[in-house]
Amino acid sequence: SRIPVQPSPSPCILADSREISSGPAVISCLRAVHGLRVQVCPLGTSDYIVSNRLAVDRVFQSELQSPGNRNKLSQRLQRLQGVFERICVIVETDRVRPGETSRLFQRTQHYDGVLSALVQAGVRILFSSCQEETAALLKDLALLEHRKDAALQVATEPEGHQRDILSFYLSIPNLSYGAALNLCHSFGSITAVANSSVPALAAGARLSRPQAEELHRFLRHDFDFQLLPEPLSKGKS
Amino acid sequence: PVTAGSIVVPYGHVIGNEKWRGSEVAQRLQGKVRLIFEDGLGLVDFHLSNRTCILLISEADLVAGDEFKRRLVRFRNASSLRGIVIVEKTQISDQYYPGVQKLAVLELGMVLLPVANQEEASQLIIQLVSFCVREQSRERGSNPFVRRQRGPPAEPAVLRAVQRIPAVGKTKALLLLQHFGSIQRLCNASVCQLEQVVGQTVAQQIYTF
Repeated sequence: SRIPVQPSPSPCILADSREISSGPAVISCLRAVHGLRVQVCPLGTSDYIVSNRLAVDRVFQSELQSPGNRNKLSQRLQRLQGVFERICVIVETDRVRPGETSRLFQRTQHYDGVLSALVQAGVRILFSSCQEETAALLKDLALLEHRKDAALQVATEPEGHQRDILSFYLSIPNLSYGAALNLCHSFGSITAVANSSVPALAAGARLSRPQAEELHRFLRHDFDFQLLPEPLSKGKS
Repeated sequence: PVTAGSIVVPYGHVIGNEKWRGSEVAQRLQGKVRLIFEDGLGLVDFHLSNRTCILLISEADLVAGDEFKRRLVRFRNASSLRGIVIVEKTQISDQYYPGVQKLAVLELGMVLLPVANQEEASQLIIQLVSFCVREQSRERGSNPFVRRQRGPPAEPAVLRAVQRIPAVGKTKALLLLQHFGSIQRLCNASVCQLEQVVGQTVAQQIYTF
């Protein structure tokens, strides 16, 4: 049931739409300097998807400095770990705004604690001094994943009816945007996906075995009204 | 001498390479962690636990040339320990950082953390040690970045997914799930079966979807 896809000449990267405003130089640099195909999509979970298994989040050095952001970051990364096999964080030096004298970076104990926790959690950490350098790092990561045969191969945003189907796949918990796109391209219909075996799902969506098992379980999950959260009548979608 | 094999590190201790005795890092670590010096650690500067160790690269190492690169590669080839590379990133050594990062992180798959000086290195080591201790004592839940297993029940998510089918809102989604039970069975339902639950038009729409 899997349609073979021609290996693409240059690797492709999916960028979250919020990055258009927060990292415009990263995206334009990826396209113009490194010649990569960058597709901007509403990813929601991560800032960039670099391969079928690797997600990259861009964080500013200042965000790791104070305990205020800790919860937000840990929730975000925990969610990512449910969706992706590999996670990378690029710690970018904050931009000095015009008129602002270069701020001295004060290393806090909290900062070291966050780094230690990330290391222990197996999150890969890269450091970048500016958006251009971040783009170069993303390119290196994409090439590395390309060599390991994990590169994203379908980047085209689907049209018309396929859009609705993509939106259906995206509502499945712990399924990445890349995997949802793969499902759209590899399977003729949702019914074909629902009737597929675990190995067929893993091959078609390019998922790891446990992830394919989770998807398989979800599609066959027997709905139990008892387990719905209580206020049923009040619409929470 | 490549000694990169495992070393037994007593609980909560750090084993330091003899060559660091009397250095600023060592002085700052003493009192904060239980530091023992040992000869013949070879490539490794500090052992934090039985499986984690640190290789320290100074500003001078970076500027001096490629010797430290050979050291990293030799370590990687000789050892299965988790190697954390701490590198002194200063105004002078800044320009070499991207190259080191590419080698250590992207090519060798090691962890690389920059510090500005030996004082910062010692602070970072103290934090790393405290996480190694927690890891050994199996307080794994204390790491905010490690995902806890077992998510919430799938029901709300299944309901949300069914609502993505065109023309199906909350009420119809519940009705459909009541009759068919799972997404797979809903997918395999015929138009006739669907018509018994929803109207003709909607049944057709669901079927085509």
